[in-house]
Amino acid sequence: MKAPPVSISCRDLSLRFPVYGVDAKSLKKYVAKITVGGKLDRHHGATEVTALSHLNLELKAGDRLGLIGHNGSGKTTLLRALSGAYEPDDGAIEVEGRIAALLDLNLGIDPTATGYDNIRLRGRIAGLTSREIDARMDEIAEFSGLGPFLAMPVKTYSAGMQARLAFAAATAVEADVLLMDEWIAVGDAEFQKLAHRRLLKLVERAGILVLASHDLGLVRLYCNKVMRLEGGVASPVTDIKKLDELLAA
Amino acid sequence: MDTAHHMLRTGRRGPLFEAQMALRDLRASGERLDLAWSLAWHDVVSRYRGSILGPLWITLSMGVMVLGIGVLWGGLFRVPIHSFIPFVAVGIVFFGVVTSTINEGCDTFVQAAGMLSQTSLPMFTFVWRTVLRNLINLGHHVAIVAAVLIYGDLWTHANYAGALLGVAFMVANVSWVSMLVAVISARFRDIPQAVQSVTQAAAIMTPVFWLPDRIPPDYHWILDFNPFYHLLEAVRAPLLGTTVPPHTYSILAAMAAGGWAAAFWLFARTRRRIVHYL
Repeated sequence: MKAPPVSISCRDLSLRFPVYGVDAKSLKKYVAKITVGGKLDRHHGATEVTALSHLNLELKAGDRLGLIGHNGSGKTTLLRALSGAYEPDDGAIEVEGRIAALLDLNLGIDPTATGYDNIRLRGRIAGLTSREIDARMDEIAEFSGLGPFLAMPVKTYSAGMQARLAFAAATAVEADVLLMDEWIAVGDAEFQKLAHRRLLKLVERAGILVLASHDLGLVRLYCNKVMRLEGGVASPVTDIKKLDELLAA
Repeated sequence: MDTAHHMLRTGRRGPLFEAQMALRDLRASGERLDLAWSLAWHDVVSRYRGSILGPLWITLSMGVMVLGIGVLWGGLFRVPIHSFIPFVAVGIVFFGVVTSTINEGCDTFVQAAGMLSQTSLPMFTFVWRTVLRNLINLGHHVAIVAAVLIYGDLWTHANYAGALLGVAFMVANVSWVSMLVAVISARFRDIPQAVQSVTQAAAIMTPVFWLPDRIPPDYHWILDFNPFYHLLEAVRAPLLGTTVPPHTYSILAAMAAGGWAAAFWLFARTRRRIVHYL
């Protein structure tokens, strides 16, 4: 694999969510002492949640970063910011390389359309041309293991079958930067093994992986670095071998 | 997901920077117009999945409506059906494009919430999706327009180039309205209802179902100050072989320029926030 420059750089990144139609005062008494979620604040008269604050992050090719932290600590927000969906309020995010964000398996899935149509739609969203999708169709279809069901509407699928389809379609794109949220455990045991192998391959191909998960086993398996988020504040990026020290801190 | 190889996102750096970013979004959507087209096509196809006639229903239901209204109104107003049916059919078809592009504009971003919150797709892509979807539907209605023009013996002296120019003005205007209501509806969820009442009122105030020459001179301002009238007449008049009202083109051009400036300004200001509205 030739190596185009691949890197992620966040400099003093802060991200605040405006929350519309909520009276901050009524919320504040409840949130004062809980560990879940970001910091709530009033800003220009609107309630705001500080989801990430002054985060610095430098990753280069070969880095596989695991994000850990409580619910609402900012893991998914960081992934979304890295995908380009959320704009920072302060600081900057710079990403070199093609980004694939596998955050929501059901992105662009239309239940009334057939499996084939959904693979096409998903591929188009990911930036593939119709021809590229056709070229990959057999491989995606085979991997999904859905056979003749691909010609049927997705609403007739079981939850596991839907996950197979979505996973197969979502992972068919080549990327340099792979962003993943913790939906990796999908499908039955047999499919999980397949999925695991495919993910490892994808991780090898991708220059950088950022994976958010509560499953420490998973983080140890895929990642070589780890960062802990707490209320939007990030720990320094540490080596995976020091995961226990990070958790104890 | 993005095919771009370099992405830079920063905090606010003043209005000029925000305008540049908004312009970049517009440009990126232009480069990926094929995606907007795929999404629009998918919308049209999926609406009629499971039906036997498929998208022909768009044409058929429009045809039934045109026939019913043409016969009834022609009788009510004592105008010859032969000339009234083409008038009302062309009116319904093109006025329908205007109102549905605006009404559906309200859902543009709301409907795309899932994609907007995890990809860096240009936001304008979804505006074009709504506009293109309505143009695809219009494509179906061309059959009706052709049929009534032949029925009314108008097809030989219709000014097709003029009609195309009118369609261009129509698209230039409804797309900014669609964009504007898309942004506002994402933030305030009662806007779609308000927009619908405006387009409904416009359907009555605009000569779609009634002939503009029936209006008394002292009420002529209802036409002169009605933007929908100018939008419609720029397409309908050339097709029916009548003359486009004076000032219509300059009004439409001014509307497009002013409207796009306003819509773009709003977009530049809210672009960062739209995804959080959803």
